[in-house]
Amino acid sequence: MKEIVTVQVGSYANFIGSHFWNFQDELLGLADNPGSDEIFKNHNLDMNVLYRSGETHQGIPTYTPRLVSVDFKGSLGSVNSRGTLYNEAPAPPGHVLTWNGGVATSASEPLKKNLFLESLYLEDEDVGNTGFNSGKNDSRSEIQDKDIVECLETGVQYWTDFSKVHYHPQSLYELSGLWMNIEGFDNYGVGRDAFSGGLRGEEINERLRFFIEECDHIQGIQFVVDDAGGFSGVAGEFLENIADEYTNIPVLLYSVHSPDTSMDPKSRKRTISCNLHDVVSFSRLLAFCKLFIPVGLPSLGKSRTSSFLSLKDEKPYHTSAVYASAIHSISLPFRIEQLGPSSQSSYTCGAMAVNDLVQMLAGQARQNMVSILDVSMPAPSFTGHPVQQYLLENLQPLTPEIVENVEDYQAVESMTVHGVYGAGCQRASISEVKDAVQAAYENAVTRPKFSHLSVARCPLPIPLPFPSIFGNLVGQHGELLDTPISDSASRGSLEVHSIPMAARLRSSNAVLPFLENRLGNLRKFGIARGAPGTELLRNWGFGKEDLEDIDETLSKMVMTLNPYSQESSDSD
Amino acid sequence: MSLRVLNPNAEVLNKSAALHMNINAAKGLQDVLKTNLGPKGTIKMLVGGAGDIKLTKDGNTLLKEMQIQNPTAIMIARTAVAQDDTSGDGTTSTVLFIGELMKQSERYIDEGMHPRVIVDGFEIAKRATLQFLEKFKIPVVMGEEPDKEILKMVARTTLRTKLYEAMADQLTDIVANAVLCIRKPEEPIDLFMVEIMHMRHKFDVDTRLVEGLVLDHGSRHPDMKRRAENCYILTCNVSLEYEKSEINAGFFYTNAEQREAMIAAERRSVDERVQKIIDLKNKVCTGNDNSFVVINQKGIDPPSLDFLAREGIIALRRAKRRNMERLVLACGGEAVNSVDDLNPDCLGWAGLVYEHVLGEEKYTFVENVKNPHSCTILIKGPNDHTIAQIKDAVRDGLRAVKNTIEDEAVVLGAGAFEVAARQYLVNDVKKTVQGRAQLGVEAFADALLVVPKTLAENSGLDTQDVIIALTGEHDKGNVVGLSQHTGEPIDPQMEGIFDNYSVKRQIINSGPVIASQLLLVDEVIRAGRNMRKPN
Ligand SMILES: Nc1ncnc2c1ncn2[C@@H]1O[C@H](COP(=O)(O)OP(=O)(O)OP(=O)(O)O)[C@@H](O)[C@H]1O
Ligand SMILES: [Mg+2]
Repeated sequence: MKEIVTVQVGSYANFIGSHFWNFQDELLGLADNPGSDEIFKNHNLDMNVLYRSGETHQGIPTYTPRLVSVDFKGSLGSVNSRGTLYNEAPAPPGHVLTWNGGVATSASEPLKKNLFLESLYLEDEDVGNTGFNSGKNDSRSEIQDKDIVECLETGVQYWTDFSKVHYHPQSLYELSGLWMNIEGFDNYGVGRDAFSGGLRGEEINERLRFFIEECDHIQGIQFVVDDAGGFSGVAGEFLENIADEYTNIPVLLYSVHSPDTSMDPKSRKRTISCNLHDVVSFSRLLAFCKLFIPVGLPSLGKSRTSSFLSLKDEKPYHTSAVYASAIHSISLPFRIEQLGPSSQSSYTCGAMAVNDLVQMLAGQARQNMVSILDVSMPAPSFTGHPVQQYLLENLQPLTPEIVENVEDYQAVESMTVHGVYGAGCQRASISEVKDAVQAAYENAVTRPKFSHLSVARCPLPIPLPFPSIFGNLVGQHGELLDTPISDSASRGSLEVHSIPMAARLRSSNAVLPFLENRLGNLRKFGIARGAPGTELLRNWGFGKEDLEDIDETLSKMVMTLNPYSQESSDSD
Repeated sequence: MSLRVLNPNAEVLNKSAALHMNINAAKGLQDVLKTNLGPKGTIKMLVGGAGDIKLTKDGNTLLKEMQIQNPTAIMIARTAVAQDDTSGDGTTSTVLFIGELMKQSERYIDEGMHPRVIVDGFEIAKRATLQFLEKFKIPVVMGEEPDKEILKMVARTTLRTKLYEAMADQLTDIVANAVLCIRKPEEPIDLFMVEIMHMRHKFDVDTRLVEGLVLDHGSRHPDMKRRAENCYILTCNVSLEYEKSEINAGFFYTNAEQREAMIAAERRSVDERVQKIIDLKNKVCTGNDNSFVVINQKGIDPPSLDFLAREGIIALRRAKRRNMERLVLACGGEAVNSVDDLNPDCLGWAGLVYEHVLGEEKYTFVENVKNPHSCTILIKGPNDHTIAQIKDAVRDGLRAVKNTIEDEAVVLGAGAFEVAARQYLVNDVKKTVQGRAQLGVEAFADALLVVPKTLAENSGLDTQDVIIALTGEHDKGNVVGLSQHTGEPIDPQMEGIFDNYSVKRQIINSGPVIASQLLLVDEVIRAGRNMRKPN
């Protein structure tokens, strides 16, 4: 078994993470539940890759994510950062062991648990009281599932609002003492200062060390960062420490961005600041990871990715669910259990370690470290249609600023397909999927130079707190229907219980605009004579030489992907 | 806790309104921190919306827990936190002093005086006060052996403002000894060489000094000994785990045998590294029953652990970077980055190494070391907020001792310095100043009194009476502070109440700087949030 430690930095990253861990928690629950489908019982995924076993002081065993999450103080809503698993006896209010003099207690208004969290709480109480979940007449059933779904649809404010996972007390780190609201925490510079200020950086590093020390064979770090503001500065500094301390542990980086929903046009000053932030954020994060995956469309709801979905861009609860699903699929090969060299599992194939993926996508000739994430959600079945084409066409990008149709004979891809249907409304077998994918590529107009395929029979389980984002062509098991199933435009966890998924990472020159835009903005706003952003960049700690270094790195990346490109700086 | 937000929607405030906004913000922050000050102050228990608890009697920690939004208050808070970063103490006093400088100025400004004049007076008063401090401070000679009694008195003064007396007194010895342990003559004191470790423990509140090191992890092999005596310690930063090397990049194209061969080669080189450690162990441990402990900053994988365990070696992986340095200072030897030229001189020594397990938490004690230059303060407490508060106090205590050694001086506390400086300004300095800047000097002088006044107030005493008694004594030439119990004048020297010279100096320095900035506001433009659409 080779462990992965996950890091989530920033609010949108934590929204995504919250869904991601809900999927894992659901898989764990389904595997244990006598009533569930055999594909969930034999998913053949090693959950220990992402989870750790522990023990409380009382000797009660625990099973929690190997996770370090960083967010603002106050971002956890009604959830305590230490969680409830390891709870010591609550201290009597106002009772202080270290001081004989006066005690002034200042209590914030307790935040009310929402219906969902309340139901989890009652469920835990029940388990505590009876030793097992007594099923029908437990108190949780007094809270109706449909009310829970309803309450989450309208009321999610914090990422903890819809989280059903028990986290380890070392997992959730809050940045305090920033004296800044989110509006002010909007650029690389403030984020970097926040990390290095006080003992914060040290404390965050210690949290990570806690999870890494216990790993016997860590295969990598899965790092998700909200790159829109100061959190990429926090992540950049953190990653630099990681690269320094754990040089040989590969970091797989998802740089995530929530949809842009602000109505007002940005002022010019703000536009410049945002563009420059994107450049420095990209270049710093890239410097300390092994594979960089930009995630986040300007409008997810209106994109082709959401053909079968019905979601609202302004709800991070909605959009983050899609990104989390894709990340889940991409992470499957890292935990597919490998049987002996000769035996083949009928549930999975295509296991690989984080480093294998990195080497495959970024270690080849072009050494392109920026990969594109595509997803098909739900993935179509292999029946009816001129099937195979359909699969590839349905894979739509979640990475912004890329070219749609490119011919790139150097492209390298890694695809994961899981839980898809084959002929006769049956889950396709591993070999059926392999054959279908192979056929699809053979018929495709452009083919990558190399493609790796991982397959699992286990679909994406849809947990109760998953948002109602499926369109009315999505059936109970994620099958795509020919006619709408209901009048209501969106369907959620009560109607859809699992979905087949396909997701893909590709290293392709389709990513050129993403790189060129950054390079162009750097030159225009940061480097050119009299550039309006030079001062700003200096305030963030980037001097002339740093900018030239970034320019050089980016130019090189552009050049390798597009050897025919004209050096645009020659003209000015 | 949130501060009053004044005129949240005002877009442009005229000078006078802006000034008053600053004054009010400063006073607001002062009000929040006031009750913290001194040995009779109030401890604050902050309960968050999710039931999380923070306990603090420290200005610094309290400020960091507050969600401050007012820009003026943020400026003051930053100054106070900077005070703590550089000198480790005096945050509360800083906030009080700034607030009081603003308050005193307000009187004159309301009478029509221009802030510029007051600021000029501040500048004169500040320089005079700093000069006065030079004369007032009590030099402490730090020879080969620093005067431990004075170090302890400074530490005790600080600790008693954070913990109840018996507990403070227990910690006094610990922090003084800890600093003396890591101190090397002629070198700056690096407090990071004192590790502060904590353990949660049901009922106990207890703190002890471990001469040696406590690590927050243990060995990861079931057969390794949990306790060993007479140990050689190898401190290293060497990877003892199999890592797929980058040469394997094209493995998708190579055949299985090639791949196997590469893996085998890589494994062999790890095993060779482990073997070199074992060879060293055999060299030093043959013919005696000494033990061998490896503490590695890099990883050690299970095959390597197996290998080491079979040889009776205890091995810890992924040690904190800083512990590499601490281990060498505690046990001797050197930290090695390669096993190529291992020799017995690299090894440190500890009389006892043992593991302590609490649920899933493991601690490794490396104790009974010879002549340590690094040590650990181990704090036990029943819950996180109690532990955190003791930790803060320990940090304050350590800083106080370090400052004393580096300052080679202390200052009489309990308000003695503030009253003395105030009298000096009023009686001697003021008359040498031309014109209305005198009033600035007076404002500054009166602002200094905020410390004794607040100490008196927090003891439930009448501030007027106390100040009259204290200034009276000072004018008679007796340098006195106030008794926290009765408010009567006392001799801080007799009572052993000493503050750090560098802390006082910084308060005097930074307070007027920030107050002057706040007084000299031009029109403050406060774009109310979402007021005007940017174009
Ligand atoms: N026993 C005592 N009697 C009277 N005054 C005392 C005594 N001990 C300390 N003081 C005074 O208390 C003040 C320090 O209080 P305290 O430590 O609470 O605040 P601070 O150092 O300004 O800020 P913080 O420690 O919160 O950073 C000093 O002025 C000191 O002289
Ligand atoms: Mg103090």
